Amino acid sequence: MTKWILRLALLTALATGGLWAWRHLFPGPEQIIRQRLSQIAATASTSGDEGIIPKAARVQKLTTFFTPDVQITIEVPGLITQEISGIDELTQLAAASRSMGQAIRVELIDVSVTLAPDKLSADAHMTGKATWPGERTPQVQELKAHLRKVDGQWLIDRAETVRTLR
Amino acid sequence: MTIAGWILPALELGSPCSYDIMPVPEVQRPASGWVKRVLIGRDPKRTLARVVIWVAVCLFVAKFVLLPIRVQGISMMPTYQEGRVNFVNRLAYVFHEPKRGDPVAIKLAGEHVMYLKRIIALPGETLEFRRGRVFINGKLLNEAYVRYPCAWDHPPETIGPGEYYVVGDNRTMDFTEHYQGKAWRSQIVGKPLL
Repeated sequence: MTKWILRLALLTALATGGLWAWRHLFPGPEQIIRQRLSQIAATASTSGDEGIIPKAARVQKLTTFFTPDVQITIEVPGLITQEISGIDELTQLAAASRSMGQAIRVELIDVSVTLAPDKLSADAHMTGKATWPGERTPQVQELKAHLRKVDGQWLIDRAETVRTLR
Repeated sequence: MTIAGWILPALELGSPCSYDIMPVPEVQRPASGWVKRVLIGRDPKRTLARVVIWVAVCLFVAKFVLLPIRVQGISMMPTYQEGRVNFVNRLAYVFHEPKRGDPVAIKLAGEHVMYLKRIIALPGETLEFRRGRVFINGKLLNEAYVRYPCAWDHPPETIGPGEYYVVGDNRTMDFTEHYQGKAWRSQIVGKPLL
């Protein structure tokens, strides 16, 4: 009886390990999109005390996650309403926010990805969380993004805020 | 049980002469056994099984019954103070629908971050704010939980089927700055336990 339990436990552990290794070595489109989104969050975060060159490099890196014709709609009641059209406008805005030198930690959590049948585009639904040092309450916002596979890379071509309470 | 096992031999050595020759290592030895017994029990296999079962039960309860949360923000003050730990009872609305006056947790894209608000209007009702006072279908709503009054004005708004109007208890800020509105029934995760 004990032998069987041990064998079963060993088999389960092996299967779990194998599955983890397989997914790690050969990630599917959903996993790649999740990784891209966490990379965006990491790139958008900053400690605030970066030099000019690292700041510029971050802004440059941030633009690599979006298509040139990206459309972003931000609507946070009582805080901000803004439309961003194209990568140039996004770059300007990102550079301007970086120049303020304020530290920020961005997280994208509860990400759910829906792939299109052709597997060349996908929709992502998530919660964005921005935390500023010294402020106890983070800003949270429900977000939606549409991604397109361009030259083998998943890029955001549309993003918008979602009103959780209407 | 275990205490008697290592105290009684010492009491038996009551005479002064026998006290002098009391074997010290023998008295000290059971102490480590006692600690071991407290930590892992008499039967380590059974203790391990108990630990596994308890961890599984706790994980199940935390995931499917009582979701642990920490309150952030001032929107529900003074009812819910910032930084307090609470639990969302996910089974609160299994047998009945949410009621007016219920504080509820509302999910965003998922359940790692949720809004904590209070239901003030139910599906099919008409809600209106007049100088900070809430009117439901034209009748004044008594809100004992609102300690910080406001002067909000909001025209009559009819709540659709399957929707609930939610708002925080702290209404000291401007109407547009206070995050409130209609939430779908499917967005309501449960009710805070405390």
